[in-house]
Amino acid sequence: MGFSHCCGELNFMSILGTEIAGIKLENPLMLASGILDENGYSMLEILKHGAAAVVTKSIGTTERSGYRPPIVVPLQDGLINAVGLSNPGIDGFREEIKIASSSGKPVIGSIFGSSAEEFLNLALRMESYGAAAVELNLSCPHVRGFGTEVGSDPLLVEEIVGLLKSRLKIPVLAKLSPNVTDVVAIAKAAEKADALVLINTVKAMAIDVYARRPVLSNSYGGLSGPAIKNVGIRYVYEVYKETGKQIIGVGGISTFMDAAEYIMAGSSAVQIGTALYTQGKGVFGNVNRDLAEFMEKEGYRGIKEMVGVAVK
Amino acid sequence: MINSRITEVEKLSQNTSTIRFKWDQHAEAGQFIMVWVPGAGEIPISLSHLGNEKGITVRSYGVASEALIKKREGERLFFRGPYGRPFTKVEGRKLIIGGGSGMAGLLPLIDEKSHGIVAARTKSDLLFHDRFPRGHVTVVTDDGSAGIKGLAVDGLKGLRLEDFDVIYACGPEMMLKSILDRIRDSGVRAEFSLERIMKCGIGICDSCSIDGHQLCTEGPTFSLEEIASMREFGVTRLTESGRRIWLGKH
Repeated sequence: MGFSHCCGELNFMSILGTEIAGIKLENPLMLASGILDENGYSMLEILKHGAAAVVTKSIGTTERSGYRPPIVVPLQDGLINAVGLSNPGIDGFREEIKIASSSGKPVIGSIFGSSAEEFLNLALRMESYGAAAVELNLSCPHVRGFGTEVGSDPLLVEEIVGLLKSRLKIPVLAKLSPNVTDVVAIAKAAEKADALVLINTVKAMAIDVYARRPVLSNSYGGLSGPAIKNVGIRYVYEVYKETGKQIIGVGGISTFMDAAEYIMAGSSAVQIGTALYTQGKGVFGNVNRDLAEFMEKEGYRGIKEMVGVAVK
Repeated sequence: MINSRITEVEKLSQNTSTIRFKWDQHAEAGQFIMVWVPGAGEIPISLSHLGNEKGITVRSYGVASEALIKKREGERLFFRGPYGRPFTKVEGRKLIIGGGSGMAGLLPLIDEKSHGIVAARTKSDLLFHDRFPRGHVTVVTDDGSAGIKGLAVDGLKGLRLEDFDVIYACGPEMMLKSILDRIRDSGVRAEFSLERIMKCGIGICDSCSIDGHQLCTEGPTFSLEEIASMREFGVTRLTESGRRIWLGKH
């Protein structure tokens, strides 16, 4: 058995081309943070399979091993994870960015911290490593002191985004959480970001009734996959309508129709993660091919023409 | 999560047990399951016994495996799977090379036309060397307490590779590296089952990846040609946190 290296040159590039935060993408599909993006060679492989860009695993200041397995609970229509922000620390991530960047495609560095200064230091390092942009993890639902705990405070979000925008040359993307009372308020607080990324996972839990306890070692985790797609669509739609910001849609995309739905709700690009579990790496090639065919049949000449068309 | 009552626990040595359980599910040699010990953790373990009454052979090395070998008949075993790409079935004479607990996943491949090289650090760590046809096993130990004193690759001395239709191997990466270097130009067909830190088992967390390929979904078995093309094999891997380390010489 050999490895399948799919797709190679796509002949529908022109119709699928898009732009986000000033970054040109050959198609609207990016790898979502947290999935197959800890090892530079894995990111290279994903790019080879048709993703236009990758977002790295979230990187912090110091090394973290993450939670003890079980870290995932596979479900029929998605999965719950609590990996626990395992990462080598920013010092140890230069090599992975370098390996992934040898593709010539944009590599976006995801970072997490607990203060504006910490985010800034991480972002400057990512910039020095050659990242095309930074994505701020303001939304991990399962680690205390980080993620949602930072991202649900509008003043802190405004401070972080403001500081980074004043010091970085590369674009700043803010990944927001659905686990807040008022996502529009947070989106407005992050207004200075070049683009918003919506949504992160939905805080969730699974209990094994025979073991009589939560399956994840951390008990709580984040739900992703088809189960949350319509939550994501609603958030993208609402934030696009209320702020007019450029948006990258993410949450449960596994077919061209899911991608088109996110684009029509206001996304200029989309990210795919959990579908790698159900469909494997071929999902990028499949969605690209089917989306191009759909656009041609429906008379769209480019992604831009489809962005937000459903927003009333 | 699947669960099944344990039907038998066979203690093989101080720190190694085979746990049998009923599971009516097709599975093949080389595949594995993620075994959950509530409160202790979840670990990947190769199936050492196929058929309706499956089995896993566990050596304790951490909290979860330690808890697992203490399980008794009648208790529940929680797991998910089967996962991974099995070994390709090849007719003819097999050379089966297992290092340490790596022999567990190779057990279902042993037949009357097999020859084994069973390697371990010391005599008490040898696993399933008694399952090969009489006179068809080469035992190797690091300390010389049984068989040849040396490494698994030393077990190849005196064997003619062209006598075999296929080589199957499983064990620590540097052991496999030395075997790969030794047999790569021989033209003999070979498949190795690789070992890396594995967390999710379903191809998403990137812990077990090697050269962009996930052991849990695209492996753990790979052909000699696939392995020979891997830049990371025998050279570098990521730790539990994702920190890249360089592998020492064996």
